[in-house]
Amino acid sequence: MSNLTVLPILLPLVAGIIVAFIHKKTTLTRNLSKVFAVVNFLIVGWVFLHVKNQGTLVLEMGSWEAPFGIVLVGDLLAMTLVLTTNIIAVACVFFAPQSLTEKEESFYFYTFFFMLISGVSGAFLTGDLFNLFVFFEVLLMASYGLIVLGNGKAQLRESIKYVLINLFSSMLFVTTIAFLYSVVGTVNMAQAAQRVQEVEQQGVLTTIAILFFFVFATKAAVFPLYYWLPRPYISPNPVVSALFGALLTKVGVYSILRTFTLIFNHEVGLTHSLFIYLAALTMIFGVIGAISTNNIKLIVAYNIIPAVGFMLMGIGIFTEVSISGTIYYLVHDMIIKGVLFLLVGATAYVAGTSDLRKMSGLIHHYPVLGWLFFLASLVLAGIPPFSGFIGKLQLIRGGLGEEEIMIVLVALLSSLLILFSMIRIFIRGYWGDKIEIPVPEREKKGKKMALPAAALLTLSVLLGVGAEWFFPTIQSISQYIMDPEIYIDSVLKE
Amino acid sequence: MLVAVLLPFIIAIFIPFLSKWKDKVHPGFFVTIVPALIFIYFAGFLGTGFEPVVQEYSWIPSLGINMVFHLDGLSLLFVLLISGIGTLVAFYSIYYLHKSEQLGHFYVYFLIFMGSMLGVVLSDNVFALYSFWEFTSLSSFLLIGFWNYKKESRYGALKSMLITVFGGLSLLGALIFMSVLTNTTSIQGMIDQQQLILNSDYFPLILTLVLLGAFTKSAQFPFHIWLPDAMEAPTPVSAYLHSATMVKAGIYLVARYSPMLSANEWFFIIVSTAGIVTLCWGSYMAVRQTDLKGILAFSTISQLGMIMAMLGFGTKAAIFGAVFHILNHATFKGSLFMVAGIVDHEAGTRDIRKLGGLMTYMPMTATLAVLASFSMAGLPLPFLNGFYSKEIFFESSLHLEAASTGFTGFMQTAIPYLAVFGSIFTFVYSMYFFFGTFRGKSHLEELPKKPHEAPIGMLVSPIILVAGVIIIGLFPSLVNEPFIAHAAESVKGAVLEKKDIYFWHGFIPPFIMSLAVVVFGSILAISRNVWTPVYRFVPGRLSMNKFYDGTVDRVERYSATITKGYMNGSIGRYVRLILAAIVVISFAFMAITGGFTIDTSNIAEITIPEILVAITMVIAAIGTVLTNNRIAAILILGVVGYGLSMLFVLYRAPDLALTQLIVETVTVALFLLVFYHFPKLQKKDEPLSTRTLNWIISIGYGALMTMVAISSHSSKFFDSISEYFVDNSYKLGGGDNIVNVILVDFRGLDTLFEVVVLGIAAMAIFGLIRYRKNKGEE
Amino acid sequence: MELIMAVLGGILFTTGVYNLLQKQLLRIIIGTALISHGAHLFILTMGELKTGAPPVLTEGVENYTDPLPQALILTSIVISFGVTSLLLVLAYRAAKINGTDNMEELRGTDYE
Repeated sequence: MSNLTVLPILLPLVAGIIVAFIHKKTTLTRNLSKVFAVVNFLIVGWVFLHVKNQGTLVLEMGSWEAPFGIVLVGDLLAMTLVLTTNIIAVACVFFAPQSLTEKEESFYFYTFFFMLISGVSGAFLTGDLFNLFVFFEVLLMASYGLIVLGNGKAQLRESIKYVLINLFSSMLFVTTIAFLYSVVGTVNMAQAAQRVQEVEQQGVLTTIAILFFFVFATKAAVFPLYYWLPRPYISPNPVVSALFGALLTKVGVYSILRTFTLIFNHEVGLTHSLFIYLAALTMIFGVIGAISTNNIKLIVAYNIIPAVGFMLMGIGIFTEVSISGTIYYLVHDMIIKGVLFLLVGATAYVAGTSDLRKMSGLIHHYPVLGWLFFLASLVLAGIPPFSGFIGKLQLIRGGLGEEEIMIVLVALLSSLLILFSMIRIFIRGYWGDKIEIPVPEREKKGKKMALPAAALLTLSVLLGVGAEWFFPTIQSISQYIMDPEIYIDSVLKE
Repeated sequence: MLVAVLLPFIIAIFIPFLSKWKDKVHPGFFVTIVPALIFIYFAGFLGTGFEPVVQEYSWIPSLGINMVFHLDGLSLLFVLLISGIGTLVAFYSIYYLHKSEQLGHFYVYFLIFMGSMLGVVLSDNVFALYSFWEFTSLSSFLLIGFWNYKKESRYGALKSMLITVFGGLSLLGALIFMSVLTNTTSIQGMIDQQQLILNSDYFPLILTLVLLGAFTKSAQFPFHIWLPDAMEAPTPVSAYLHSATMVKAGIYLVARYSPMLSANEWFFIIVSTAGIVTLCWGSYMAVRQTDLKGILAFSTISQLGMIMAMLGFGTKAAIFGAVFHILNHATFKGSLFMVAGIVDHEAGTRDIRKLGGLMTYMPMTATLAVLASFSMAGLPLPFLNGFYSKEIFFESSLHLEAASTGFTGFMQTAIPYLAVFGSIFTFVYSMYFFFGTFRGKSHLEELPKKPHEAPIGMLVSPIILVAGVIIIGLFPSLVNEPFIAHAAESVKGAVLEKKDIYFWHGFIPPFIMSLAVVVFGSILAISRNVWTPVYRFVPGRLSMNKFYDGTVDRVERYSATITKGYMNGSIGRYVRLILAAIVVISFAFMAITGGFTIDTSNIAEITIPEILVAITMVIAAIGTVLTNNRIAAILILGVVGYGLSMLFVLYRAPDLALTQLIVETVTVALFLLVFYHFPKLQKKDEPLSTRTLNWIISIGYGALMTMVAISSHSSKFFDSISEYFVDNSYKLGGGDNIVNVILVDFRGLDTLFEVVVLGIAAMAIFGLIRYRKNKGEE
Repeated sequence: MELIMAVLGGILFTTGVYNLLQKQLLRIIIGTALISHGAHLFILTMGELKTGAPPVLTEGVENYTDPLPQALILTSIVISFGVTSLLLVLAYRAAKINGTDNMEELRGTDYE
């Protein structure tokens, strides 16, 4: 059964290759991609249930026993995130035809798309640090393909910045893996974890840990490493922005979560307190950014940053409660960021501009879009009983339990400012004088765009109102993740 | 009870489907039934023998979030207000809102509000309470913005949302804190274990956060500023949310927690001060208003202040007065708002300067107004309920239980005077409201419409409310024992001894205070014109509003300045900042943990060829920085790459050497190909400071890497897993070349995806080169 | 020798980063290339240098150089090659379409 673990990586890979061969037949590619994405989602859902009921699946690739070969570790954390990834994928694949030109679709959009899913799933599943690097490269390369798609002027300009920063952090990543290899003699995560615990003189390990943190924090957009994020994220097509916003930074957050609970938990007092301060600064600067602009896409892009702050806060506090908050927030944020990027994409499309100062009264023409946006803003800001609230509740509980008052107050204030930044779009763009319908020929497509976003948003609302269906699972993940021995034992079979 | 709370939400879902019949039947009729049913259901609990009822429904038990409804006297008072006034307002709105309005939206918001408000006052679970709390703020936001084509509506909506959600989040912080301390999510549970909270080091923080939540919601000074702007909402909404129910949520919260919080002296100091200041400020400000609803808004603020002050006093009499006044205020203020709505509707304006003498045109409305406003003024008449609670207020202000030293002592002396001061202005604006609108000269020519009496349907609701004013006034004992007494008991946490409400207590201080109010109030009201300049100049025009506007404006402006300051799109700047952070923090960690170690026992000897290659590479690497010739730069880069492959040879890595050689050659060719078209490299035109900074950062980063590398190499604590590869390469992998066996077999997955990366890169490059925009795009 | 190699790696990183901080695209990309060279050198150094024969099984040889870092470098070289090629073409297109290769002139604004 453990072979199931490879399916979330393999299926999109195969799908990507197939659609690459028929990329000229746009309609066929499009429909086939929808089928692939849905089938993939169903299979991943099945694997998820299997893991949930039967426990972690460990697949030793090529049957080379751990720690020598590469292992894929399908534990509940990884599978939860893979499942969420595939949910986003399905929504995006249905949104794509509305938003892309046929030409863009034919230039391998769907191949890049599936490769991205494959890379992201691989990053969640792998139990090997160097393999994690390889999957990072897969997803980054796919994202490079997506971000330049369309060859716009501003787009290419921002793409360079995006590629450069990621290239730089990849090089730091691979160097840091080498450093760790030198100290512990392995690149297998479970074995590394085991060995790090045994080391007595840990000074150098802490420095290496911090370097790892910076590598992942650059991808995750933590203060002070997030500068590269906002503008490159809004320059490509909305569907690409949605994929990026939903998935990419979260892979970084996941990696921090994984490595700093499993491997580098030897100097919690130092490393994790740093996280708390950085989390606070990330929230503050993120919301400041979100308020600073009138570009609606940019407002949403900036809102990625405080969310990362929230997740980092949970890792920094490092209790079972706070980690459960981080994981819940992670899942919630993947979905809601997908929703929001799709919605602002649709809004900017029907309004003919993304400048808030040029919009007004859209709700009279696009009530569905408007109300979806309003609801999504509430979900994002963590208004109960929606999904953002559940994660935030656990994070604050964890924070107060450890008497980390400062970060809690910052988190609460950020929530208010997040709501402010989003509701500005609603008040200034959707409310107001009824004006002539802008760009009338876009009306039909624009209305169609609301559907995938609505589906995702429904899920997001369910994640909050029906938290009882999900939270026990998240809680068990949190317990599991706070006890790294389980992971180590399941991989090394001792 | 679950059904009662959820009913409005469920009906709200179906409202949009009603719009089909909108032309035939006003949807308000359906909506009116909902609160009426709820009212009837809860009215069944009334009676002298009332006992609190608890009902539990699990929702998210794993997080301690459940629907626990705790119906005690206080909740019952609020529930009946919410559903009772809700029924009347819904009915009133049928005549107030024309069918051409977006009625579907209106009633959906209305029902969501009602359900949430019921939830707030019934929930014993703090998180359920908080959820409902935020939903009242949100529905209020939507209702204020109902006419969102008006700029003022949007402004008022945003303001109310920001302030109340700010308070909501403070409250959330406090609730979570209390639940962490007591390990329960039930309010009653917290009160039972109050020592854990009261003795906590963080009690001042908790108290502050709870009160921030309550004061923002109940429009206490200085957070009252959102309420006047909320008057942009349709009048039924103002009557319902912004005077009778939602703004009392803060009062409810303070009352709910007062059994616990009042044990601390600061509770008395803060709550009483805030209440009294709000009372005085609100009533003074009300006198200055020219808009009927403006007067009522400030009047509401002032009355809320009075209730809050009584809760702060915390004596038995004060608590009794507070709950009694909650009821009374709802009756007379609700009817006054409806009167204002009628005037607006029938005369076309709410500007009191244009109104006057309407009594002859709308005698019925005027009668209602006179009764309600005299009750509000606290005129000592035996058939007006306002007087009773006002007198309890005066009485309780004279009998405070607090210590008589220090600041508390000072407050004890000051409070009765302030109470009278505030009440004088209450008297003035009540008179002003009635006489300004209905008496005096009429200016018909200034009115947009010719005024006439309202349709009977519109009058029904205010008539019922005014009937309430009079009935309570005539027979206070009717509501006392079956109703008010229970509410007061649940606030005080103990059974209160029976308190009778009489009109005539004798010639005692509270009555003298009332008389003083009437006398001074009448003088001020009659000589109003004399005082107008004073009202205009004190205070310097709405200072708190300026503060709010300034804050919002500053938040936006500073955010823009800060963000534009560093997010300027310059990749150089970004990399510089990122690197500086990495270098500084990593070095700091290295220093703290003593992370730098050096161990020379296990290293290879130094040989000449390697040194030569290394020196060449260093020279070449520095050369790339110094040269200004692009071809030279590329070729020098090639030298570094070839040097690296030389090193690979020297260090026994033949495969690497070969690969590096090929890759380097291809890369250099690509570089030359691409950059053939590029402009020449420029002379460095950057200022010395930038260059120095760049060097510092680069050297810092290089040094960091070197030091970590040396430390890592000096800390080889374990045997490498490579031994396995050496041992098994041939045995299990079937190959002599260990590196190759690792690549294709032991770590085959890496290689597979390495190929995938190359494949994607090829497609991306293809797209970059071949993609051309269609005409007309961009 | 490892110390010298670590210093050499550090110098490659230093010059690489310095180039990365320049304005002109060509220099920036040269910078990234230098950084990858540095990274590969570091990986190699982190195995033990010259402790044995090349990692190709030969009769009678007991001691081999650590093969794992070599395998990792090989993967990394290929990936870097892919990324560098993409970056080159991207830089070419971006510079052409925007009419400049000076990154300071390629800042952009919030609204476009």
